[in-house]
Amino acid sequence: MASTFSMSAEGLAFIKKELTRYETPYSAIIPSLFRVQAEHGWVPPEAVVLLGKTLNLPEAHINEVLYFYTMFNTKPVGKFHIQVCTNISCAMNGGRELTQALCKHYGVEVGQTSADGKVTINKVECLGSCDTAPMMQVNADSYLENLTPESAIKKLKEMGA
Amino acid sequence: MPKIKVNGQEIEVPEKSTVIQAFKQAGVDICHYCWHPGLSIAGVCRLCMVQVEGMPKLQIACNTEVKEGMSVNNTSDVVKETVKWGLDFHLINHPLDCPICDQAGECGLQDQYMQFGSYDPEMAEPKVKKSKAVDLGPTVMLDKERCILCSRCVRFTDEVSKTNELGIFNRGDRSEIGTVQGKPLDNNYSLNTVDICPVGALTSKDFRFRQRVWYLKEADSICPGCSTGCSVKVHYNEEGVWRVKPRVNPEVNGHWMCDVGRNTYKYVNLKSRLLSGKVGKRDLWQEVSVEDAVRSAGLKLRETSPDAIAVVYTGQYTNEEYASAFKFFKEELKVKNVFHWLNNPEKVNEFDGLLFRGDRNPNTKGLENAFASFGAKGSWDNLQAGINGRKFKTVIVFGPEDQSVFPDLDEKIKMFSQAENLIWLTACANKSLDSVGGETWQIPVKTYIEKAGSFTNFQGKVQDFKAGTTIVPQALSVSEAVELMAGREINWNLRPRGVGGPKTNYAVSDRGEL
Ligand code: SF4
Ligand code: SF4
Ligand code: FES
Ligand code: FES
Repeated sequence: MASTFSMSAEGLAFIKKELTRYETPYSAIIPSLFRVQAEHGWVPPEAVVLLGKTLNLPEAHINEVLYFYTMFNTKPVGKFHIQVCTNISCAMNGGRELTQALCKHYGVEVGQTSADGKVTINKVECLGSCDTAPMMQVNADSYLENLTPESAIKKLKEMGA
Repeated sequence: MPKIKVNGQEIEVPEKSTVIQAFKQAGVDICHYCWHPGLSIAGVCRLCMVQVEGMPKLQIACNTEVKEGMSVNNTSDVVKETVKWGLDFHLINHPLDCPICDQAGECGLQDQYMQFGSYDPEMAEPKVKKSKAVDLGPTVMLDKERCILCSRCVRFTDEVSKTNELGIFNRGDRSEIGTVQGKPLDNNYSLNTVDICPVGALTSKDFRFRQRVWYLKEADSICPGCSTGCSVKVHYNEEGVWRVKPRVNPEVNGHWMCDVGRNTYKYVNLKSRLLSGKVGKRDLWQEVSVEDAVRSAGLKLRETSPDAIAVVYTGQYTNEEYASAFKFFKEELKVKNVFHWLNNPEKVNEFDGLLFRGDRNPNTKGLENAFASFGAKGSWDNLQAGINGRKFKTVIVFGPEDQSVFPDLDEKIKMFSQAENLIWLTACANKSLDSVGGETWQIPVKTYIEKAGSFTNFQGKVQDFKAGTTIVPQALSVSEAVELMAGREINWNLRPRGVGGPKTNYAVSDRGEL
């Protein structure tokens, strides 16, 4: 799986352009990682090697960023990447119980992908939507808010998960 | 130069100093982890808190520049409280396994806690568990739980060795030191990370679990590993020498030394050493006392005609030893044939850009100076021809102390031993010398840790060092050997006593490979 990694020509051009936007190549790490993830679904070690060369930065420093943020996937994820917030507001409003219910429903553990490759469940830090806690993010752009286990499962079903 | 007050004490410090440097200069203790004088400022441990008069909040001393008239202290109650609780935070997930930690006794966390902490911990939560024996590379082990994330090791590989192997991955209380995809931390300076790690997170594979540091004594020396001549300290006890660490010397090595240099304690210990004189031909040699061996060698030299003697020097002895040997051979014996045995002529000018040099001798410069002032250096071809043509009957060799850096050792032993008589001064035993055909004298000499003297490094800087400890008491310095060869006396009563050698009943002596 990992050895097949390559980047599109546009992707590479994007990264090179990012490099010109900032004073330091370090600032280009996050947009580059996002781009890799957009093309590939996750960020494999080979991508880090490639970014190291393209940005002319030590791989260790790219990995520092990659492993710091929960928004970057360091393993392949399923078609529906469910990221449940378990930070303070969500935790106090049942975020952890929500996670457990989802895990039970899809038969996976936190951090794992279901056997059919459809669903991955992860716990993440605050997603900036504390007023609608508990909440979760699905894939890159959908926020599901004010959840109960039942409403969460129902909404996910509607999305096809 | 700004004048400032440190805990009420007025001092003058260089322009642009930081407050922590002012504390160091004033000799006032200040709690800190992440700041290291050889690295950039990180300001992450938050322990070097000081109160600056006129500023509403506490500042970190490592990242605050001094200003004229500034008055700072780290003794007020608010500073003390802050530092104390700062330490408590550092210890939240620290395993506190000091009894089995190799750093105990030289641990920043222990030291700072005793001085600045001393509180009753108030953490009731369970600690985060992390991996405890991570093989980071050929020389270093990592205990992720003990790490306090000061980032010194990361800054070292970024700024000094420039190898960039290390990073801090994940975040919050899961943050941990590591390498990329398990690649090894493998460079010739990696053990410096062990030195600067303030806790027992990074330990040396070579040293860990072998000694408790409080049983070791320390002596200053100069590393004989190459012509850079880094300032070092050697740690030893009654069993021998256990490790070599760098000593700060801004003119030569700064705060660092290389990993190769750290191995130079190994050949010093009893196991590798020549312990008595050996005299005779192949397989018929006899072990004799050092005094008998050196005296009979002296007799042989004095009865050989000066033209039939060849003297071979290696760059591994002190200036003082060269002086006495050159004087003896030139002025007393009138020997003209002197030669410089350079172990790796193709590599002598190599340099890794940081410290390590291709000339693996501590005193090539000193030897060259001795040649310049005492006698012309003979060419190697003449030596070869002189031995083959039976011109040289007696060859005396001031052999390498560290034999491992002489790749041509066996070949040269073969060549020298074609002479009728071969006198070989050596610190370490060598099997090939036991089976050469001609008459041989093997005379044990001291290693760099056992003698005082000076080496001249590649810059021409003469660096003195004192004797540390004695491993083989019967071994002679070259100067002593020369006196005895000349038929004179040395004061045997003044000779040091040796160490006892390894104890055999240590459980640790049976440990396997780590
Ligand atoms: S391993 Fe040691 S030097 Fe490196 S960050 Fe941790 S405590 Fe600091
Ligand atoms: S650079 Fe040379 S002198 Fe310095 S520690 Fe290494 S071997 Fe020894
Ligand atoms: S705590 Fe969940 S969105 Fe902020
Ligand atoms: S020494 Fe100043 S913050 Fe660590």
